[in-house]
Amino acid sequence: MAGGSAGRSGKGGYLKLVVGGGASEGGAAQGGSPATAAAGSDPTAIDPRAAGFPESHAAPWLRACRKLEGAGYGDPVVRAYRRASLACAPLVGPGAAVDLADAVSAVTIKAGREAGQGLSDAAVNAAHRAKTPQLFLSWVNLMQRLAALAPESIGAVLERTDLLLGELGVSGLDSWAMAGIRAGGNDPARRRAFFTMADPEAERWFHRETGEVAFLEVERRMRAYLASLFDVHLPLIEAPAHLPPARRRRTSFNPAMIQVPGAYPGYRGEQAVDIYRAALAHVGAHLRYSRERFPVGALKPVQVAVVSLIEDARVETLAIREFPGLLRVWLPFHIAQSTGVTTAPSLFARLARALIDPDFTDIDGWVRKGRDLFQAHQGALEDPAMSRHIGNLLGNDLGQMRVQFNAKSHIVEPPYRDDNAGLWHFDDDMMEEAESELATEAFSLREQDGDTDPPDREREEETRPDEPMGRAAPDETAAEREGWLLGRYPEYDYVSGMEREEWARVLGFDPPDGDGARADAVLARRRVEVDRISALVRSSRVSRARRMKRQPEGETLDLDACIEAMTDLRGGDSPDPRVYQTMQRRDRDLSVQVLLDVSQSTADRLPGRGDTILDMEREATLMLAHAMAAMNDPFAIAAFASNGREEVRYLPIKRFEEPFDRACRGRLFGLQAGLSTRMGAALRHGARDLAGAGTYRRLLMVVTDGEPADIDCPDATYLVEDARRAVQSIAHSGIDVFCIALGDADEQVLGRVFGRRNMARIDKISRLPEKLPLVYLRMTA
Amino acid sequence: MSLDAYRIETEPFFHAVGNEIAQFEAAHADRLPMMLKGPTGCGKTRFIEHMAWRLGKPLVTVSCHEDMTASDLVGRYLLEAEGTVWQDGPLTRAVREGAICYLDEIVEARQDTTVVIHSLTDDRRILPLEKKGELVTAHPDFHLVISYNPGYQSVLKDLKESTKQRFCAIDFTYPDAATEAAIVARESGVDAATAAILIRIAARSRNLKGSGLDEGASTRMVINAGKLMARGVTLGEACRIALVQPITDDPDIRDALSNAIAACA
Repeated sequence: MAGGSAGRSGKGGYLKLVVGGGASEGGAAQGGSPATAAAGSDPTAIDPRAAGFPESHAAPWLRACRKLEGAGYGDPVVRAYRRASLACAPLVGPGAAVDLADAVSAVTIKAGREAGQGLSDAAVNAAHRAKTPQLFLSWVNLMQRLAALAPESIGAVLERTDLLLGELGVSGLDSWAMAGIRAGGNDPARRRAFFTMADPEAERWFHRETGEVAFLEVERRMRAYLASLFDVHLPLIEAPAHLPPARRRRTSFNPAMIQVPGAYPGYRGEQAVDIYRAALAHVGAHLRYSRERFPVGALKPVQVAVVSLIEDARVETLAIREFPGLLRVWLPFHIAQSTGVTTAPSLFARLARALIDPDFTDIDGWVRKGRDLFQAHQGALEDPAMSRHIGNLLGNDLGQMRVQFNAKSHIVEPPYRDDNAGLWHFDDDMMEEAESELATEAFSLREQDGDTDPPDREREEETRPDEPMGRAAPDETAAEREGWLLGRYPEYDYVSGMEREEWARVLGFDPPDGDGARADAVLARRRVEVDRISALVRSSRVSRARRMKRQPEGETLDLDACIEAMTDLRGGDSPDPRVYQTMQRRDRDLSVQVLLDVSQSTADRLPGRGDTILDMEREATLMLAHAMAAMNDPFAIAAFASNGREEVRYLPIKRFEEPFDRACRGRLFGLQAGLSTRMGAALRHGARDLAGAGTYRRLLMVVTDGEPADIDCPDATYLVEDARRAVQSIAHSGIDVFCIALGDADEQVLGRVFGRRNMARIDKISRLPEKLPLVYLRMTA
Repeated sequence: MSLDAYRIETEPFFHAVGNEIAQFEAAHADRLPMMLKGPTGCGKTRFIEHMAWRLGKPLVTVSCHEDMTASDLVGRYLLEAEGTVWQDGPLTRAVREGAICYLDEIVEARQDTTVVIHSLTDDRRILPLEKKGELVTAHPDFHLVISYNPGYQSVLKDLKESTKQRFCAIDFTYPDAATEAAIVARESGVDAATAAILIRIAARSRNLKGSGLDEGASTRMVINAGKLMARGVTLGEACRIALVQPITDDPDIRDALSNAIAACA
């Protein structure tokens, strides 16, 4: 590769020779130059000026070569550098080419000789792509960083340099690589999976960086579009990563869900949105006009394919009758031309176009026959049997025409059409299995879908489908893995300034039962504080201010009362003195979600005392809950802890509609400390539950002992910034977030996350009554 | 004081979907209090106007709001140069002189306000004016009708059970497509084909109820779009300003709705 590029760049006569081990490669042909004869492993034997380096950089280049030589990385590394620097110099300047040596050295130290050599080889491609020394050097710099962060993966990235830089550019590659580092965390195998593109996450980020529209970005729009157009309210799910790529390229549907490709490669910006729209309109047409599935029976694959094609055209024609505008949605994707070889894929695409495009005529007899047959059945379009009939005829014709049909490589065209799996009834167990698996997944997703299906927690309780995911942390025991998927939430990466979609996975876990009697004991022991807190909660008025008329005092006169008082006076009666009006908060219209941090650190004992932070969390929560329950305030309690981004555990202690009974208190006292604190994801999930509460104010109260942290986040700032972002967006949606910091929590950090005014620190449980008014003060301010 | 100003002289157009006219006439014969239920803009108000015209009764309409007090309905003393004067409220006028009193969106009013109608809605048919120390017995022609939009209010705002149980109720929904198209054509002046397209468009919006919209486009909105078109506005523009922009500010839903509308024509 390097030799080829060198040859290309030599056209200006700038590059005179290729040195070192290049003898057997492209440069050998130019070997007439005097310097070549001396080319050996000793760089001093080469005259750099003859090699194309200007005078000013000759000495540094020689020094760089000698330094590499002396470092003992072995001959291939040095030779590759020499080759690459000479090739790069004319493209990005001799300075950058000399600087490359330091990077080669650094990469070799971090990631081994092969990587060092790979860097030089890739540098030529990079130089072609980068064109300017600045961009080239930032690429070199990036590779150097990557070698330090992911030494096992640098090779894979270097191999793909041409593709990556071609599609992403240097800055795109930078974001993509950093996404990979985050995705893999400290796990070299996962990092490698990302950088070799084996991890679907890599692809998703890749699409994102290339400007291809990821399905997630348009999901909500598309769901609403489908609902609006065809009254179809099925969940749309992105094709799961464990499916083979061939099954992820097209939409697919069954009665329970619609599976959608994560991206349509090659379609960018508006075009990509258009193809999603076309694809969902097509699926919608199937769902409206295709009835029972066709039995496959003894049909040959080619017949199945042709029947499907006719059925596609049938439902589209019906849909266009009802919604004429859909023709404009679908037509742009039919680009088949009436020329070229008559292979099966080409004929299929042409027939598809002939059946929908009124202005398209084809010279091919088979396509014309298909069109004529279809036209002849215009009156019977309502009946799916016509698709079968025409499809069978045309399928037979193809056989007689000896057109080869490869069922394995067959893919439906144009790309907006679905894979037709939803049209057929396969006897194959495999398909059924795969389908039911998808259906399960769809089900678990639908459970979560607050928009189309209000949270029905009872049902969730009963079914609680285990989510089929192979990505859970490996060190879990089976017994611990009984979590059910509650949702995926974005995480904010402060480095790139972007939200990572669906980054953290929140799993629900059943909290272990504990001894409810302990709660009673605490309430008895803390009688004084309990009474004070109850009184505080009772007296706090959190609701919309209301106008109170006919008050004995107030800030304005109540005109009605004044007039009445005057009429009474004139009529000789004694007037009512209550002639003022005032605005007051009278009722309580507040719902509270309490989130308890139960990470490992909460098992620490409080300084100088016997009880732990978790004990204190429990007691504080118990007292508050007791008071709120007495006032009938809607509130919920949940605990959270995390084990990497794939497993943010969420343990519901009390749900909004449950009474705060002994079982709840038992669960509260059964909590165990363990794992880490991924606060952002827990906040986002808690806020989602709270968002449905129809009260005037909604409060998300976090009780924690310290800053956010997790095992897969070596960068301490990352989760802090994410939590801060979560708090901001939650506050933006009208939910108040308040933090109660226990133990020796870092107030600086929590202040950054929640804002100084939105947190209170409590070092002794007896001080809770003092601090609680702060919360209510914030709510009524 | 006569209620002549409240009489409806010309026939308000109303296209019956079911048997509601006969039902209402029967209820009116016995002066049974009526409740008209249904989503906004489906013709409740038009129906009561039509019935008032048909029955030849004056119609007193009160739009209820959050700050409405009992005296806003019943009446109050006013100050005038020569002393205090009692002014009947709209409800009292209807009770005294015999009119259909239509309380629009009754749940918007405070609950203590709604209680004043209780004595009028059972066989007593009386209205006590506490302030004035008068007990008004209802005119034989007095008929109380309220409207109620069940989907629109939150749980907090619902009629008291004791209020609900005093009423008969007629449910209103959007008429079927053909009827609605005929209504739209008649009311807006567009031709039948355009009206049919507008109704198909309205159905797209109603499909989103609960999936992004709180309420789909009402017949009233569709008529508005039709009126714009009758004035020469193009279909796309008319739909945008009459059907999409007023109903949601959510960019995703706007996008979805606009594209679904584009598919209809």
